[in-house]
Amino acid sequence: MQVKIVIGTISFMLTMMILGFVALQEPARLERFTAARQGRQIEQGAHLYDSQCATCHGVNGDATECYDAATGERIGCQGLPLNYKPMLCGDRTARMVALGWDGTKHGFVAATIAVGRFGTAMPAWAQEYGGPLRPDEVEDLVQFVLNWETEELCAQPDFVFEWPATIEELLVAFPEGDAARGEGLYTTYGCSGCHGNLTDPASAAVGPWQGNLPEVAATRVEGLSAAQYVYESILYPNNYVVADCPNGPCTVPSSMPNNFPLRMGDSPERPQDLIDIMTYLGVLPLP
Amino acid sequence: MATFYDQVKEMGIKQAALAKADEVVERITAGMNIGDIRAALRGDEPRRPNPRLRPHADSFWLHIRPSFYHTEVTHIYPTFRLGWLSTFMFVWETITGIILMVFYTPSPLVAYSNMWNILSNVPLGQLIRNMHRIGAEAMVLVVAMHMLRTFITGSYKKPRQFTWATGMILLVLTLMLSFSGYLLPWDQLAYWALTVFISGAEAAPAPAVVNQNILLILQGAPSLGADGLLRWYLLHVLLLPLLLAIFFFVHYYKVVLYGISLPPGREEIGEDTAKRVPKDERTYFIPDILTNELMWSGLATLFLVAGAMWLWDAPLETHADPIVTPLHVVAPWYLSWSQGWLKLADKTLVVGFIPALLVAFIVMPYFEVGKSRRYADRRVGLSVSFLFMAFMLVSNWMGTPEYRVASSPDREVGIKVLPEEGPSLMYALPYDQVLKGRFLPGQEIRGNEAMTAALASLKKAVLAHSCVLDRSVGNPNIPTIKASEWTQCRVRELQSGDKVYDAGFTRDVMPNPYVELQIEEIQPRLLRLTLVFQVKEPDNPEEYRINTTWTAFRHADSNYEDECRFINKSSKCR
Ligand code: HEC
Ligand code: HEC
Ligand code: HEM
Repeated sequence: MQVKIVIGTISFMLTMMILGFVALQEPARLERFTAARQGRQIEQGAHLYDSQCATCHGVNGDATECYDAATGERIGCQGLPLNYKPMLCGDRTARMVALGWDGTKHGFVAATIAVGRFGTAMPAWAQEYGGPLRPDEVEDLVQFVLNWETEELCAQPDFVFEWPATIEELLVAFPEGDAARGEGLYTTYGCSGCHGNLTDPASAAVGPWQGNLPEVAATRVEGLSAAQYVYESILYPNNYVVADCPNGPCTVPSSMPNNFPLRMGDSPERPQDLIDIMTYLGVLPLP
Repeated sequence: MATFYDQVKEMGIKQAALAKADEVVERITAGMNIGDIRAALRGDEPRRPNPRLRPHADSFWLHIRPSFYHTEVTHIYPTFRLGWLSTFMFVWETITGIILMVFYTPSPLVAYSNMWNILSNVPLGQLIRNMHRIGAEAMVLVVAMHMLRTFITGSYKKPRQFTWATGMILLVLTLMLSFSGYLLPWDQLAYWALTVFISGAEAAPAPAVVNQNILLILQGAPSLGADGLLRWYLLHVLLLPLLLAIFFFVHYYKVVLYGISLPPGREEIGEDTAKRVPKDERTYFIPDILTNELMWSGLATLFLVAGAMWLWDAPLETHADPIVTPLHVVAPWYLSWSQGWLKLADKTLVVGFIPALLVAFIVMPYFEVGKSRRYADRRVGLSVSFLFMAFMLVSNWMGTPEYRVASSPDREVGIKVLPEEGPSLMYALPYDQVLKGRFLPGQEIRGNEAMTAALASLKKAVLAHSCVLDRSVGNPNIPTIKASEWTQCRVRELQSGDKVYDAGFTRDVMPNPYVELQIEEIQPRLLRLTLVFQVKEPDNPEEYRINTTWTAFRHADSNYEDECRFINKSSKCR
């Protein structure tokens, strides 16, 4: 019996020693697991981003390289860049200021993903709002999107292109347009998805066909040249909304994306894209 | 009785305090004072009347324990302490389970993050969770072994048939407890194991309406969801433990009533002398059995705590997803046999057979009425039981995905090297040693053992699911693997005219495959790992048999290293 008491006591003491040993390592372990939780959310978010978001926001999140989910064909990116300083840097990011969001950055991204953006191509993703994703999946995506933030990215100089009021002023600072390059951009910015190609009027699905744009643009708004009208129509679709669209009367506000000032103005060279597109459409160079 | 104050006046403060302490101890132990306890611990004979019997008469906790045992049944043989250990495990699971309950809400919205909270935010949370998990699996094992021992020693025979029958119910409850707990983390593993398992209800040999309604009750909805989780939670923490406790007391009452059966050789055939214990063969509960049980409690606790720390890590996969079925749905090991049976026979047959088998087990003692408990007289019975156990082991193995996998060879390689869930060598490599670029299986990276080992594991997986058309040439697509390491293809032509390539015992493998691993860093500290598979049609090199990719992501902090320490997961990390 004495032996049993000794064995029992020793086991008890060993158990206590293990518990003490575990307790000592606990703070470090909790920290590792907290990081692990986030790391695994980011991994899941990466899977979801690839399957759900890359078609609009680009494979690298910079809205430059997009592929059709079904066919694998290269298409224009409809979304804004996410891997992008104004979206990610600072506690109150440039995008939060622009949209008047007073909550946190996490909340900004989470709310955008969950409910989408009314009147834009960004759909609601949370099941709660009719989308396909569970709350945990939305959170995984938020963690993934925010993980693009790097010191390097945030150290880049701030850049927001100030669009001049008239096309003439813009042309002063840039070389002549390149119609061939414009043709490519017309697809990658997603214009052709709505406006079709320039040869077949039936190809236009959502927005007016633009094969005859140089003629109609000159007559749309009294006092505006064709180039100035197209310039404003692309940057600020709601300035003038056309009456007839291929599928009936055009809706007001316009269903054309209103974020081209941002997408075509995120670097000092980017506005050249607009000039090339307008050259391709035949409203540039100025007569 | 005199008040304490009177006593102090009479005997002085010291004596009075001692007398008071004695009295308190005697009340707590329901009969033994300090002197009696010391005498018991010293091994002295008890005084008369024997105070060590009074706790059995007066106290609640000991009134169901016998005051003495037959010395013959107090050794390791014949009980191996397994019945006692089963009880211990139940108490253990209750305590650790209650602690976990504090941090758990049975809702699909939060259950999974609750698990992560337990792991990452509750001090000792991982230890408690692992203690509960290792305890659950150990309990299944212990109860099954207890059943085995009562069978082998013939203890189920008259008059203990009913003890056996209640024991069978306890076994079923134990399995159901383990299994219902499986769902609660609400991860892919849990969700799909349960979904697949309870879908068995649909195949039961009963009218379809009945089956469908049973399934509906079990799932709470057409598929497992909030209602289903709540149901299984309530089963797990309320109904099943309650039933188990009730049946335990019935079971144990019968054990005490008939006494633990003596070793079969110790009594005449047909006799039951367990309750007729001669004076000199008595071992008293106090102090001997009690000390013994305390010692075993200490040892078992030590084993379980150490096991939770170093041996057994409860898995936590990604969040349950009712839409995405994992490539392999695996049942817990103690139910794997049923999946094995499904590969052998029709589902309805299996689902009907299991309850029939249970009933057969329960009533077995009422039909198997051979008088003798001796081993030599029960050769047939014992042989049948060993055959049955062998059958269960084989069935269990057949239930694992290793046996007859149905998926394509590229996906089998993918899931081995870059599993959808859980740790692997690739996920546990030190992050800063992972190189970016494109690599071939078996490629050696000089000065980087981790990468070399990872590519060696890729090579192993590729070899297991590939063959070469000409072994003397090898596979020109992957020059990093020697010709002699490949297996020669065996070609089968199907009725459709398509050809299938086999290697050794593995069916449908990749002939002369090209496989590469691409690693790129797509975000700070986040890698995309892509396996590219390109297998040309041997008869028509213009066409691809397989042209796929398999993608996984790994974050620097994902911490699979911690999981690889545990022996139940380490094999996946090699
Ligand atoms: C059908 C195309 C499309 C898809 C698919 C899409 N988005 Fe968007 N997203 C957009 C558009 C367009 C915007 C810009 C809305 C605006 O102009 O305010 C946007 C905006 C955003 C923004 C806010 C950016 C900013 O600077 O304001 C975030 C964050 C975002 N999306 C995340 C996602 C995530 C995560 C997914 C995948 C679940 C996703 N998006 C899928 C089109 C899409
Ligand atoms: C989501 C569909 C959509 C996309 C993408 C789109 N547009 Fe439009 N666009 C429309 C619609 C609808 C109208 C008509 C309503 C309006 O005037 O705003 C229109 C109008 C226009 C007009 C005025 C046409 C006229 O006949 O007066 C121009 C110019 C134009 N878009 C150019 C572009 C260019 C350039 C792009 C690509 C950079 C583009 N659009 C992308 C839908 C789209
Ligand atoms: C939760 C599960 C169970 C618990 C807690 C439990 C508990 C016990 C205990 C404490 C004993 C006393 C003797 C000993 O330690 O061996 C016992 C005896 C016994 N048990 Fe169990 N038991 C369980 C399951 C089972 C099962 C699954 C069976 C068989 C189907 C079974 C059959 C028996 C029999 C026949 C005896 C009498 C043994 C004898 O008298 O020698 N029990 N049980």
